[in-house]
Amino acid sequence: MTNQTAHRPSVPRPTAEEPEKPATWWSRNQLRLAPYAFISPFFLLYGLFFLVPILVGLYLSGTEWAGLGTPQWVGLRNYQDLLGDRSFWISVGNTAVYVLFTMCVVVPAALLIAQALNARGLRGRDMFRLAYFMPVVISPIVITLVFGLFFEREFGIVNGLLRAVFGFGGIDWLGDPLWAKVSVTVLVLWRWTGYLTIFFLAGLQNVPRELYEAAAIDGAGPVRRFVDVTLPSLRPVTAFIAVTVLVNTAQIFDEPFLLTQGGPGESTLSVAMFIYRAGFQRQQLGYAAAAGVLLFVVVFALGLLANRALGVGRDNR
Amino acid sequence: MLLYTFLISLLLVFALPLLWALSSSFKSRSDIFSYPPQPLPAPAVLDNYRTLLAEQPFWSWFVTSTVVALLSTVLAVGLCSLAGFAFAKHRFRGKTILFNIMFSSLAVPFAVIVVPLFIMIAKARLTEPYFALVVPWIAPAFGIFMMRQFAEQAVPDALLDAARIDGCTEFGLFRRVVLPLLRPALGALGVWSFLNSYNSLIWPLIVISEPGDYTLPLGIQALFGATGRQYDLVLAASVLAAVPSLLVFFLLRRQLLEGLTAGAVKS
Repeated sequence: MTNQTAHRPSVPRPTAEEPEKPATWWSRNQLRLAPYAFISPFFLLYGLFFLVPILVGLYLSGTEWAGLGTPQWVGLRNYQDLLGDRSFWISVGNTAVYVLFTMCVVVPAALLIAQALNARGLRGRDMFRLAYFMPVVISPIVITLVFGLFFEREFGIVNGLLRAVFGFGGIDWLGDPLWAKVSVTVLVLWRWTGYLTIFFLAGLQNVPRELYEAAAIDGAGPVRRFVDVTLPSLRPVTAFIAVTVLVNTAQIFDEPFLLTQGGPGESTLSVAMFIYRAGFQRQQLGYAAAAGVLLFVVVFALGLLANRALGVGRDNR
Repeated sequence: MLLYTFLISLLLVFALPLLWALSSSFKSRSDIFSYPPQPLPAPAVLDNYRTLLAEQPFWSWFVTSTVVALLSTVLAVGLCSLAGFAFAKHRFRGKTILFNIMFSSLAVPFAVIVVPLFIMIAKARLTEPYFALVVPWIAPAFGIFMMRQFAEQAVPDALLDAARIDGCTEFGLFRRVVLPLLRPALGALGVWSFLNSYNSLIWPLIVISEPGDYTLPLGIQALFGATGRQYDLVLAASVLAAVPSLLVFFLLRRQLLEGLTAGAVKS
């Protein structure tokens, strides 16, 4: 596509592009108006498929509606019901577990791996980088399918290995409430660590070597250098990663949905799955919308908080 | 040495599930769950692939997924670079606030808009895959942000001014000057949006109800859910489904990794 843009097209060009033609209103104002024209497709789609749904969602959250007939206005009752709904709180708790796990395990693991990849004179860095990124490239349905195979109770490779090495291996990975949660977090770890590593590595490679050398001359050991040089230089990347991870994990859906269907019981149910279940399986559209609004408020507040705490965009325009 | 041991064992951990799927897709139905687990199929058979292609509408899923992903990609790349160019290189009234509006939409969970969006699409009878799976996603805010970050550095102002003096219109400028300069970023955004569309699950799951309109993830989902988990067919389908995304990724890997990180590192 870009190939053809380099040379002139043979089709006759519109009048606005011919300087010898009398200046039209458009050609006189185009520099001023062009940027609006360029961003208008986004804002058009934004309005239609984003703003309108949000407003519709806000309205629906005050109604009771099964998709047929007219929505019944019930005020804040959906919100009241949500606050008293055990399933909802379970899904909030599970989501909090996923978020905490990602923040406290996945992010540090990614930083550690990036640190290893950044070692001076490392061979095959690009190959490692590529291979670690791979899990994000593959469709989640394919991945969870394989993990389902691995975690299978009787014939799965995980239990097989446990049996071979430790002599026991009857763990019901996907059927036990606690282990199911562990399985989902393992999947999250596997899918996203390599992805975050790419960002940390890019940040590390931007740290000037002289800083390390200067610190070394001052007698700083590896730990000291990491704390005093690496961490401060990684601030923008870390901020970016933290905010992205927070916002994305707060709406986690694929992993628990595919691996455990939220089960057993509701032990792996996430908030996004709760909304999906209410909206598309139980036809409680108003209820689902209310849960969506609550999720939005929480994610937005957390995002702002993280932004403030980490100073994202402080030196942004 | 320790470092390489660490990195290589990690590589195995990341690659193992995919290699396992590949190997198991050539196993007979009973061997997939043999105990102890066998790493390689013995004997390797093509039955799974043959049955899949003969008995399931695999090609129809494949075509729908690929066409939807290609359409989304071309449109997203065009619209995002256009908007990114404006945000990076033009001065106009309301720019900051419009940019912030766009940017803040990144923090809105998909789960929030999914119910009302589905209702709107369903009421307007627009659940045809080439509309419902493409149009709402052709101007992602993340793509515009990425393009702006890139254009700010890659497009010199002097070049723009020179072209303007020569009588080039703004759109002509975009096509002839900016697009070629944005090329590496276009690649990154292209892969990103192709993978997003090709691998997406929840939205197609909600909006597509006709089995004839299924995308690959939906098809695999259906194979998986229906009659007792047909692992043999599902594995074969998964391997075939992974081919386009891996191909796109490998062809444009450098652009993708660099483009993705460009915005993050600069903040």
